[in-house]
Amino acid sequence: MTGHLITLVLAQAGRAVGSGRIVGGWEYVWAAYAITWTALGLYALSLWLRRPGADSKELE
Amino acid sequence: MARRIYYLVIAMAVAMLATGAWLALVWAPPDREMGDVQRIMYAHVPSVWMALLAVTLNFGCSIAYLIRSNWKADALAEAAAEVGVLFGAVGVTLGSIWGRPTWGVWWTWDPRLTSAAIMLVSYAGYLALRRFVEDPERRATWSSVAAIIAFVDIPIIWFSVKWWRSLHQVQSSPSTVDPKMTLVLRWNAIAFLLVMIVFIWSRYRIALHQRERELAPPEALAAEPQSRTPAAGALR
Repeated sequence: MTGHLITLVLAQAGRAVGSGRIVGGWEYVWAAYAITWTALGLYALSLWLRRPGADSKELE
Repeated sequence: MARRIYYLVIAMAVAMLATGAWLALVWAPPDREMGDVQRIMYAHVPSVWMALLAVTLNFGCSIAYLIRSNWKADALAEAAAEVGVLFGAVGVTLGSIWGRPTWGVWWTWDPRLTSAAIMLVSYAGYLALRRFVEDPERRATWSSVAAIIAFVDIPIIWFSVKWWRSLHQVQSSPSTVDPKMTLVLRWNAIAFLLVMIVFIWSRYRIALHQRERELAPPEALAAEPQSRTPAAGALR
């Protein structure tokens, strides 16, 4: 009887927390890759704008 | 010749980054427990690795400057710190995004996350210090000392998951994951490494150019727009 009750409680708890596996979540994946590519792209652009000689070309 | 190699590395970095994204988002299998969300790992882990590599380079260059007072070491230290902050910020942001669906929170004061946040604040402070000090010699010396102090946190980041029983998982072993996952992670790590090399090299040239201008005698500075000859003699 007690064993059956424990099994029932554990089964209920299992349903309450889900299967433990994540389903979907592609929005997090796309957000992560978009942030990575944007950050690397913007930094590359900043290096191009700050490159040696860029300021002296403006003076000429 | 050096310029050709520079452009070749850029081309390789872009090609490997694009291929790496396809491998990570399409080719790699989903994780048994985390599903597709685990694909964040292929950008998160290489970002953090590159941040740790860059700040280690910064540490080495800072010691080199204090020993030999070499301006090239100081310029490389500055470049490595800036690129380290970039990759560190990307890595921590991606970790936060990954944490939301897996841990249920965007942020928690876990030892790994806390030590990574300390790294970001320390190296942002290092870069701020470099901005505030005008005298090049004082700036190089003070920032070298700051870099050595900031580096104390780096072994703590690496070993935090082993030293403390925390939420962040310990480093995985290739023997316990799908071989496809190992291949994709290594591919992306090499792609990020090439990107980091290009960034540090480009930023190093900018820092060296700034140092040449700062150390050049006034007449050389006035003649610069016409001749555009770097005052290389001013650099040790």
